[in-house]
Amino acid sequence: MRHANVLILTDDTEFARLLTACWQTERNAPAITVITSELWREQDSPARDLVVVGPVSEGKLTNVLRSLDPATAVILCVPADTREYGQLRTKYPRLVHIPLREDWAQTLLLVAGESLRRAEAVRLARQAERNAAKNENHATLGRYMLDMKHNVNNALTSMLGNAELLLLEPGQLSTQSLAQIKTIHSMALRINEVIQRFSSLASEMQEAENASQRETEETTGTSSRRR
Amino acid sequence: MHLCSVDKYGESTAVHKKVLIVDDSPAEVKLMLGLLEREGYWPVGLNDPTRVEETIAIEHPNVILLDVVMPNRNGFQVCRDLKGSDDFKTIPVILVTSKDTASDKYWGQQQGADGYVTKPFTREELLRAVRRFA
Repeated sequence: MRHANVLILTDDTEFARLLTACWQTERNAPAITVITSELWREQDSPARDLVVVGPVSEGKLTNVLRSLDPATAVILCVPADTREYGQLRTKYPRLVHIPLREDWAQTLLLVAGESLRRAEAVRLARQAERNAAKNENHATLGRYMLDMKHNVNNALTSMLGNAELLLLEPGQLSTQSLAQIKTIHSMALRINEVIQRFSSLASEMQEAENASQRETEETTGTSSRRR
Repeated sequence: MHLCSVDKYGESTAVHKKVLIVDDSPAEVKLMLGLLEREGYWPVGLNDPTRVEETIAIEHPNVILLDVVMPNRNGFQVCRDLKGSDDFKTIPVILVTSKDTASDKYWGQQQGADGYVTKPFTREELLRAVRRFA
């Protein structure tokens, strides 16, 4: 997993200190930034994988939550009995809330770990989707080139054949024309080599794809048997 | 290629081996006509693959050069029909095509083709294939 970025947004220094200390004992500790609600400016903040909102000054919680990017995972860790939280619960029904009571830090670390794993999985899925779209574009281009190969080969047949026919009767041509036809002939041969190379590349890629497919099927089969 | 035969009056006459060229591209037919004529063959060109049997019945070719990718009736179909016909199955058919994969060649063999020349071909490659049969 890539190194995650976590923001702890709280006005309670003890909350921040305890959570940071707990997190740093973990094997995969994320990069942690602590900020108070007074200094918090969403627009200046870099993208975070997770925001933990701890206790903040009275009346600040609504503004803080409103300012957060909706795509960012947020864990709210405040006492369940505050009036402001009661109002927010109806406004943000999907907000992950960990009541600030005994063992809150362990619970928060567990939830945060899952949240970070989910964020990472979403990131990887999006990256895979982007790669798939890019590969699809390349595949379309490749298919087009393979389709066009037939037309190129037909054109090359005429170019090479007619050049050969002319070269069979060198006496009828001037030295300059003969040299030009030889150039046309050798260039046509070069195009032919390029096209042939493309064909063999397409075969090699197909071979590699088949091998990869077999490997995937074998891996899937092995893991199914293990289950 | 010139062969000699003796007619019923005992006179020697030159016999040209006749090659039927079936290709929808006039430029390629013209090219193969030029190459074969130079070698003494008697080439006959045909652009319409639906008229192959009719042309064979008139021309009686010794060998057929057959393109594969053609409109209305492709070379594989033509070859399969010829090899399935009692009248034409003995005429050698050489597929001349830009389809160059191993599966294309295998498929050509399955249709009964006697030879396979890949486009673009050199003069020598074409003549070598024709000489095997005529």
